[in-house]
Amino acid sequence: MSFWGDFLTRLSAGTLTTLELLSITIPLSIILGILIGVLRVYGGRLGSALANFYVFIFRGFPLLVTMMIMFFGLADVGIMLEPFWAASAAIILCSSAYQSEYVKTAILSIGKGQSLAARALGMNRFQEIAYVIMPQALRTALPGITNEILYMILYSSLAYVIGVSEIFASAMTMNSIWVRPGEIFGTIALVYLSMTTTASTVFKEIENRLRIPGFEGAR
Amino acid sequence: MSNLQVLAKYLPYIFDGSLWSLGLVGAGLGIGFAIGVLMSLGQVYGNPLIRKIVDAYTWFFRGTPLLVQLFLFHWSVFPAIGLRTTALETSMLVLGMRSGAYQSQIFRGSIESIEEGQVLAAKALGLSFWQQSLYVVLPQALRKAVPQLSNEYSIILKDSAVCFVLGVMEIMTRTRYVTIATGIALIPYLIAGALYIALTYLGAKAFDMVYSRIRIQGLVTG
Amino acid sequence: MTAAGEVLRVENLRKRFGKEEVLKGISFKVDRGEVKVIMGPSGAGKSTLLKCIDLLIPPDEGSIWLEGVELTSPGINVNQYRRKIGFVFQEFNLFHHLTAIGNVMLGLTKVRKLPKNEARELAEEALLRVHIGRDLWDKYPAQLSGGQKQRVAIARALAMEPSIMLYDEPTSALDPQLTGEVLQVIKELAESGMTSVIVTHEVGFALEVADELMIMFDGEIIERGNPSEVIYSPESDSAKVFFKKVLRLGGVGR
Repeated sequence: MSFWGDFLTRLSAGTLTTLELLSITIPLSIILGILIGVLRVYGGRLGSALANFYVFIFRGFPLLVTMMIMFFGLADVGIMLEPFWAASAAIILCSSAYQSEYVKTAILSIGKGQSLAARALGMNRFQEIAYVIMPQALRTALPGITNEILYMILYSSLAYVIGVSEIFASAMTMNSIWVRPGEIFGTIALVYLSMTTTASTVFKEIENRLRIPGFEGAR
Repeated sequence: MSNLQVLAKYLPYIFDGSLWSLGLVGAGLGIGFAIGVLMSLGQVYGNPLIRKIVDAYTWFFRGTPLLVQLFLFHWSVFPAIGLRTTALETSMLVLGMRSGAYQSQIFRGSIESIEEGQVLAAKALGLSFWQQSLYVVLPQALRKAVPQLSNEYSIILKDSAVCFVLGVMEIMTRTRYVTIATGIALIPYLIAGALYIALTYLGAKAFDMVYSRIRIQGLVTG
Repeated sequence: MTAAGEVLRVENLRKRFGKEEVLKGISFKVDRGEVKVIMGPSGAGKSTLLKCIDLLIPPDEGSIWLEGVELTSPGINVNQYRRKIGFVFQEFNLFHHLTAIGNVMLGLTKVRKLPKNEARELAEEALLRVHIGRDLWDKYPAQLSGGQKQRVAIARALAMEPSIMLYDEPTSALDPQLTGEVLQVIKELAESGMTSVIVTHEVGFALEVADELMIMFDGEIIERGNPSEVIYSPESDSAKVFFKKVLRLGGVGR
């Protein structure tokens, strides 16, 4: 098989795996990040302490360390995760910690008057958070959340280290067979560039669509 | 000797990796600082061509994974321009170029946050462009950027773990050797994680100290 | 026991922030259809008093009765009664992420649990009552003038069909030329029989709408009665000084 034919086959398989990885980790890390962010602000003593500890650990550990723990470390205590799921777990733990940071900051930026007005209408705590605070906080947090997604696209490449055959792994295999690093890693760079560029264009469009007068200052 | 005892014996070996990791971070921050300052000036004050070049540079380094950058430069770009670098040198240079892209964004923001009047006043005194930058703009902009540089430090520190793929003898590489030697993985990696948190904390403290030293009363920090 | 027609009764209300006692035992009652105006220098505790009545700030001592129910009794579901008290803030506090009509509908759909179409009808009605026309219904708060914002905020409270409206300096955050439209709306509501307690600095307005005027000073009600008597011939020295200043600034005199 020709170099480019071989590359294309491996690359498309790798790309598929990367997209699969991202389609699982992106939504889950956002959901978990929102929950943890809410817990950090409204969780009371215990809830916020637990959530803060979670963030302390998973923001403090390099993603690579968390990934090694999920794959090699947990095996020590009898938990054997497939590379794909170990990588997914590590990415979700790490990114949700970062996501929660944006969510928390956004919640704290909402003025006290909003909460007073909600309570004056007779809303309970849950209604106040769900209908008044979060719709505003999530708009404010959106640029941070999408920025973290761009990082997730880049850092998903670390899954190669524990044997997930994603994009970067396909490059490593190619290079061990053909040893043409310039073409191989250059092409891979272009693949990632096109992914991040497309994603950031889409996010800008989403941010524009969701824009509300009065929230420009928040970004 | 049990595996745990062997592990205990290896702990100093892992800890010594801190120096290598910090070396990577120091080089990355330093090289990145030089690149970042120049490029931020280019982006704010440069002509359209310079701005295009800076944009392309940041687009590349912020849009590709560190992993790809390390291999691309180590096996292709550096050899092509006649640089025969060791794994450590490649890692330092790549971390630096990469951080330069991020730092240029940081400095650009802080330069743009300086009021126009400052530059006008400098021009009115007859200072040249480089004098304006050196004596008026940068002293203010760099001070404002310190908190974000502290953040950049913790990012490069965590990124430096990736350099283990080239075999640089930093924390991760050593931890991996230990897991192979002892057959224990969970505890060594938890120790490595704790080590990164400790280094992050120490670095943040150092930046705080620097910041309180050089902060100017009344200069609002962004 | 509740006197006939009594909507709100406040008894011996006390509140302290740290060392400072902000409310030193306030008592008064408001009958159905009555309009009470509270005036006094800033820092007198007027805003704290209103927020305590709505339990937005928990009082330290004393009791609050709304239509015969003691809100300050333990174990009561505060939210159930808060919706019967319309509260208008000095800073409007419109929900930034919702349109004018969205702001008015939120309490109806989420707290009163009305179906959307019913909520919308009530919201439209309330907005029209405060003279917010159809063209403004889908505007976001950031697109409205201060006077429009405050009128939407009044509509938001009004739509809940409250037993009483509390206005906390409703025009203090507005440019002078915009206060008129808001005061006009409050006056119309008062004249239509809406029971109200209004904290304001507008002397002319107080003279026009108040059934009773209360003067607060340093956490206490130092004077109360017929508005023009209280304003033009106050008994206490503090009230005299206060009105001398206010009348000169406001330019309302005989």
